[in-house]
Amino acid sequence: MEHIMTITHPYQWLTVVWWLLIGFFLMLYIILDGSDLGAGIFSLFDSNSKERGAIMASMAGTWDANETWLVVAGGAIFGTFPLAYGSLFHYLMIPLMVTLWGIIIRAVSLEFHHHSKRSTVLWDWGFGIGSVITAFSAGVSLGATMQGFSLSSGPVPSFNGGAMDFLTPFSFWTGITAVIAAALAGGVYLRARFDRDTAIYRKAMVWTDRMFYLALIAIMGTVVWTFFKFPWAMSKWIGPYWWAFILTGAVVVFAAWEMRRASRQQRDMAAMMWLGVIVVLNFGAMMATLYPWFVPGTMTIYDAANPSNSLTAFALAMTGFVPVMLAYNFYQAWVFRARIQEFSSYGH
Amino acid sequence: MTDPTLMVDLARLDFAWITTMHIIYPPLTIGLAAFLFYSEVKWLRTNNDEWYRLTRFFEKLFIINFGAGVATGITMEMSFGILFGPFSQAAGPFFGNILGYETITAFMYEAGFIGLMVFGWGKISKKMHLFATFNVAFSSMLSAMWILVANSWMQSPTGVHLENGLFLVDSWKDAILNPNFLTGFPHMAIASFEIGLFFVAGISAWMIYKKRPHAAMFMKTLTASLMALVVIAPLQIYIGDDLGRTVAEHDPAALAAMEGHWHTYNADGTPNTSWNVIAWPDEVKGTNTFQIGIPHMLSLLEDHKWVSTVKGLEEFKPEDRPPVLLPFYAFRIMVAAGGLLMIIAFWALYLKYRGQFTMEGLQRRPWFLRLVVFSAILPYIAIWTGWWTREVARQPWIVHGLMRTSEGVSQMSIAAEIVWFVGFVVFDLLVWIGAWYFFAKVVRNGPDMQAEVIHQSENIPVGSLMTDKIKHQESILIRPTA
Repeated sequence: MEHIMTITHPYQWLTVVWWLLIGFFLMLYIILDGSDLGAGIFSLFDSNSKERGAIMASMAGTWDANETWLVVAGGAIFGTFPLAYGSLFHYLMIPLMVTLWGIIIRAVSLEFHHHSKRSTVLWDWGFGIGSVITAFSAGVSLGATMQGFSLSSGPVPSFNGGAMDFLTPFSFWTGITAVIAAALAGGVYLRARFDRDTAIYRKAMVWTDRMFYLALIAIMGTVVWTFFKFPWAMSKWIGPYWWAFILTGAVVVFAAWEMRRASRQQRDMAAMMWLGVIVVLNFGAMMATLYPWFVPGTMTIYDAANPSNSLTAFALAMTGFVPVMLAYNFYQAWVFRARIQEFSSYGH
Repeated sequence: MTDPTLMVDLARLDFAWITTMHIIYPPLTIGLAAFLFYSEVKWLRTNNDEWYRLTRFFEKLFIINFGAGVATGITMEMSFGILFGPFSQAAGPFFGNILGYETITAFMYEAGFIGLMVFGWGKISKKMHLFATFNVAFSSMLSAMWILVANSWMQSPTGVHLENGLFLVDSWKDAILNPNFLTGFPHMAIASFEIGLFFVAGISAWMIYKKRPHAAMFMKTLTASLMALVVIAPLQIYIGDDLGRTVAEHDPAALAAMEGHWHTYNADGTPNTSWNVIAWPDEVKGTNTFQIGIPHMLSLLEDHKWVSTVKGLEEFKPEDRPPVLLPFYAFRIMVAAGGLLMIIAFWALYLKYRGQFTMEGLQRRPWFLRLVVFSAILPYIAIWTGWWTREVARQPWIVHGLMRTSEGVSQMSIAAEIVWFVGFVVFDLLVWIGAWYFFAKVVRNGPDMQAEVIHQSENIPVGSLMTDKIKHQESILIRPTA
């Protein structure tokens, strides 16, 4: 990696800023599309076809924008960390490919569902299964990234391992965890989205109750496994800033408690916000643990970054757009904020 | 280890397939969005409800196409790194930046307004809605611009130098405004308008041909689209000629392959200026097995001169020559499609001039209407063959003259490449069949003439996520299923 450092020699703080921004995009994707994916998972267990249609209708105006945060994260990685983009994505070929298939199934199901009469059931299934596949394989990809991968030597080191390197018990487990976490988010989202006297709302209440404990177990499991499996994580967590991680953990527990309370008292918006807090804290802790690695043990953010000239150009051209993107996305979500009824359909 | 040539070819096939199945959507999105903006402006200007109904009708088709474009487009954005990792790394400092610009300034920009445009009727004011439509049209064009910057740079990579395996940018201006982009982007932009307009024209013609209940209304869109094409179609041929000369200047091997042009000079020492109408290239022997050519045509096309020398493929080392068969025929099919489209547009103008371009006049000419319906498929063929020409004729380079495709490919197992291919064949065909099936369905059902025309917006800001129940029931966005 020596000569990469000498030719790239990036402005270090810009590298950090863009790494944080990409983390931010990914986190937004997890929060926003996580709810949509979870609602899709929920729909698999809802036997009423009209209700499944209403669930799709509830995200009609926003699912595309929510999903696009993943594309923004991908595009920004290509733009700012091309050395990671070219090797990490190659390493993740199979899980990313499956994620893409899931996204395709879900997108066409959402689009075609309301045009169809005879094939409605097919698109219902497509929507649910596409959601499960996307959540699972995205979770596997994240877990696989934690494990790192092997690089060739040479001026530009690229991935030289096998196609199945990504698959280990750990990455499989993170896939399962992602599905469970999304399922919880979906339930919480549906409760905030539907009228309280609808059947979906009542079903979502039972659903969130169960998923809350499952998600708790799954996330705790992931944290413990990470601690014992990855030396880079262990050394961070028991290192000089151990108190910060302990504190974050305590706040997460508190937020989970508050979410549970809000959920019980049917303060649905508050429950959704507390869940958001949990995701932000967990994701933040993950980023803090990772630093300075982009992919642990494989490349640091400085190894992966663009040469300074390109990184500066990217920062100058794009940073200003970030608040603009946030603003119009917020506006769009705001326009479609009303609670809806279960007889709603995906009408134009 | 696996056969390296097979691995490279499979990676190219994998990428070619997803590109081929993606490129049929965004140009229509761009063209149709511009058309929707036009028809919405028409509605607001004339206050004629027919324009409103037409807008809503074509918008239904637009959204199906858009969904398909997103579903296949996300794949594209990830696939550079997956299938061509080393290329993505090396070209990252420029190419990655441009793709990043595209996602941030265009892809997300579009996503941020599409929901408002499609589901915002009656939720936001008319002006805000028109603004949303404008933004969708504008951002989709912006997206095409960035993609063409990136792709053109691979054709004529100016403004960079290779250092330690990375393309470092010396001049952003030269790299972005590379020679191929300056003609390549207009060519693609006009192609997008052409596909959008022929799509509208084809569907309108079908409505009139089938004498659907609201056929008269579709005379508006038929006239508007065909008359616009009277300008657009010849303009496309003019720009195409320009692009051909740019390719001749910056990538003569690609041009020679497109033209099946092997020998710079004839046997008697005079410049070979023959333009092959058809030919069967033999890449091993380095000549055509047979050919039918028109003398002087090639020099007229490439140099606008009666006699000039055009470099033949023989002047390039065999390992630097692109494949010939595919670019040669793909290019000819594209040109033929473009020519036919222009003839159809001129024919419409002639009918208009003769005063026959009325519903009755056209219904007396069913073959003309049938031809217009059929013409909706031609821009698709032109875009496919044009893009294949562009990509295949650049071979064996991934970045022309600087990086070979074999150097840019990810080291994948053949099995993984085949799984990829089979999977995307299944899913992309599902998207394609679904999209066209629902196009047909929407067209058969025709425009919605019952729904009330939205004159003012309802359900305007109420405060929290818990809006007034009565108000949202009145809302037009989510309406009860009848």
